[in-house]
Amino acid sequence: MYDFLVDLIGNEIIAAFISAALPVVFIVPFVIFGVLMERKVAGHMQDRLGPMRVGYHGILQTVADFFKLLQKEDIVADGIDKKFFNFAPYLVFAGSYAVYAALPFSSKYIGADIDLGIFYIIAVSGLVVAGILMAGWTSNNKYSLYGALRSAAQIVSYEIPTALIILSMVMLTGTLSLAEMSEMQTAYFWNWNIFGGAEWSFTKLLLIPFMFAGFLLFYISSLAEVNRTPFDMPEAESELVGGYHTEYSGIKFSMFFLAEYANMFAVSALVSVLFFGGYHSPIGYVGNTLGLEALIPFEQVFWFAAKGIFFVFVQMWLRWTLPRVRVDQLMTICWKYLIPYAFLNLLIIGIITLI
Amino acid sequence: MKISEEIFEILKNKFPDYKFGLETETPVEPVLSADPLKINEIAHFLAENEDLFFDSLMNLSGVDDANGEKSTDADGAEIITGGTLSVYYHLHSMKFNHKLTVKVSTPRENPEVESVEGIWKTANWHEREAYDMVGIIFLNHPDLERILMPYDWEEGSHPLRKDYKNPEFYHGMRVPY
Amino acid sequence: MGLLDKEFIDSNIVIAKSEDLLNWARLSSLWQLSFGLACCAIEMMATSASHYDFDRFGVMPRPTPRQADIIIISGTVTLKMATRIKRLYEQMPDPKYIISMGSCSNCGGPYWEHGYHVLKGIDRVIPVDVYVPGCPPRPEALLEGLLKLQEKIRKETLRTKKA
Repeated sequence: MYDFLVDLIGNEIIAAFISAALPVVFIVPFVIFGVLMERKVAGHMQDRLGPMRVGYHGILQTVADFFKLLQKEDIVADGIDKKFFNFAPYLVFAGSYAVYAALPFSSKYIGADIDLGIFYIIAVSGLVVAGILMAGWTSNNKYSLYGALRSAAQIVSYEIPTALIILSMVMLTGTLSLAEMSEMQTAYFWNWNIFGGAEWSFTKLLLIPFMFAGFLLFYISSLAEVNRTPFDMPEAESELVGGYHTEYSGIKFSMFFLAEYANMFAVSALVSVLFFGGYHSPIGYVGNTLGLEALIPFEQVFWFAAKGIFFVFVQMWLRWTLPRVRVDQLMTICWKYLIPYAFLNLLIIGIITLI
Repeated sequence: MKISEEIFEILKNKFPDYKFGLETETPVEPVLSADPLKINEIAHFLAENEDLFFDSLMNLSGVDDANGEKSTDADGAEIITGGTLSVYYHLHSMKFNHKLTVKVSTPRENPEVESVEGIWKTANWHEREAYDMVGIIFLNHPDLERILMPYDWEEGSHPLRKDYKNPEFYHGMRVPY
Repeated sequence: MGLLDKEFIDSNIVIAKSEDLLNWARLSSLWQLSFGLACCAIEMMATSASHYDFDRFGVMPRPTPRQADIIIISGTVTLKMATRIKRLYEQMPDPKYIISMGSCSNCGGPYWEHGYHVLKGIDRVIPVDVYVPGCPPRPEALLEGLLKLQEKIRKETLRTKKA
C-alpha cells in the first residue's frame, strides 16, 4: 500500500502519512457498529430487545448518540487543571489508534510495515495509561482518582502476561513483524498458530495444548488491558460512580467511548493475528477458485474484520455474563496465576522449539 | 421461661431501693416501669443474669405520652407543658425465649435517660432516633445527634411531639402543602 | 421518520429543518441518570428490565450526572434529599429534562398532609418537564411519560430559549 501510494503521489512522507492514517476509515464505522452491537447483544442476552425505535431495529442509534453528544454543554468544573483535562481523552484515543498502524489488514495493506511490529504495539499501548491517569487526576474528584489509579495498576500489571505470551509466540515463529507472522499461517485453518503452526511435524501436535493455554491466558490479559468486564474496576458503575470519565461530558466523553471500542478491536485483532491466522481465510479464497487474483486482498480484509468482530463479540458476551472481580482479586489473578502460568508456557514452548 | 410477674419479683429483690411498677391491664403484655436514671444498671442486670439473660433488645422507642396541659404561648402557638415523655424497651432472650417490656418516664421539661448502648449495641441507632423525634437526651451516648431529620434542622424542634409545628421554609423550600 | 411527509418539490427534493435532525438526535438517545429513591424506583427498574424495555427507546442508564440527559425522580423526596437533588441537577449539562414519576414527587403524594419531612413535590426545587401520575405508575405509564417527553422535545426550537 505504501509503494502504491508512493507511485501515485511521488512524495514519500505524504504517502506514509496517508498509509498510516487510513485505519480511521475502518475505526469510525466499526465504532458505530460496535456500540450498537453491544447494546443489542446485551439486550438479547438479558431476554429483551436492544434499541428498536431509532432506525430499522435500532441501526441509527449510535448516529443519534453522536449528534446528541455534539449538542451537550461542555462542563468544565471548578478546580480542575484545564490543559490536561482537555487533552486527556485525545491522548487515550491516540494510544489506541497508534496500534492500528502496525496491524496487517491484508497482505497488501499494512499501515506501516515495521520489522518490530509487536514490540511497537506493546510499547504504544502504554500511552493509554498516561491518558487515563491524566483524566482521573485532573478531574479534581476523588472517585475519578480512585478509578484512574486502579486502572493504571491494572493495565501495567496485565502487560506482563501479555508480553510473556507474545514472547512465546515470537520464539515459535521467529519473527517480530506481524505481517510476516500472518503470512506464515497461510490458507486453511489447520495451519493457524493455535493448531500448532504451518509446518507439519511432530512438534505441531505437541504444541496444540500449549497454544490453547497461551490463547486463553492472552485473551484474559487482553480483557484487562482494555478495562472490560470482568476487569472493569475503573469504570465500575456501582462502586466508583464513573471512574476516570466521571467528569467528562459531550464530545470529550465520546472520545473516551471511541477509544474504548477502538482498543477492543485492536486487541481482538492482535489475538486473531497471533493465534488465528490473521487475515487468512479458513476455507480458501473465492478469488483462487474464480481465477481473479486481485480479489484476494479484499477478501483478506473481510476475514480480518470478521475475526476481529467475532472476538469483540466474545468480549461483549463475557461482559454481560460474568460478575466483576474486586481489585485485590484482580491483582491476585495477575500476579499469582497468570504470570506463573505464562512463564511455564514460555518454558515449555521454548523447549519444544528446540526439538 | 419466665413471665413478667416473676421478673418483677426478681428485680424488686435485687434492687430493693429502686422504684418499680407493673401494669397488667395493658392489651398485649404487662409493662414494667423503672427509673430513667437507673436504667443502665437494671439493663446490665437483665442482660447478664443467668436466669433472665436478655441478650437481645428488640426495640427501643421514644413516645410522647399525651398527658400534659395544652396552653397557648406568646405567639399564639399551642404548646404543651407538664406531662412525661417515655422510652419503651422491648427485650427478648434467645436462650430462654421469654420477653419483657420495660418503660421509663421522664418529665417533659428535662428529659434525661441513661443510655443502654454499652449493653446492646443496637440501642445506638434507636436512641438517636428517639432523641431526634421526641427530644429525649440519653446520657453517656457516644454520638447523640440527629439521625433522620437533616443535621441543620431547627434545634429543639422534635417532630413526633404532640405540639410540633412545621416550619414555613427550609433552605428556601416551602414545607407545608 | 416523518421526513417523507414533507412535500416533494418538483425534482425529488425533500426539505427538512436542521432543528428536526437535532431534535431527533436528542430524543432518540436520552441517557438516564440512574436515580431511584423509593417504591417508584422498583417500577422504574421493572421498566428497564425485560418485559417493558427502556433500551428500546435508546434510554441507557449512566452512573454520572455529567453524562446524563434525563433524570427520572422516582420516589418520595425528603427535605434532606432535596438539597442533593438540586446539586445533581446543576451538575447535569444542558440540554436536560426531568420526569417526575409517581405521586410523591408530583405533589407530595400520600404524605401531603402530615409529612413533616417530605418536600411536597419536586417542582419546588427543579423545573419538571413531564409528570407521570400513579402510586406507583405502571411501567406502561412511565413509558407513556417518556413518549410525551419525546413529543415535547420534537417540538423544541432553537429560537426560544429554554430556562
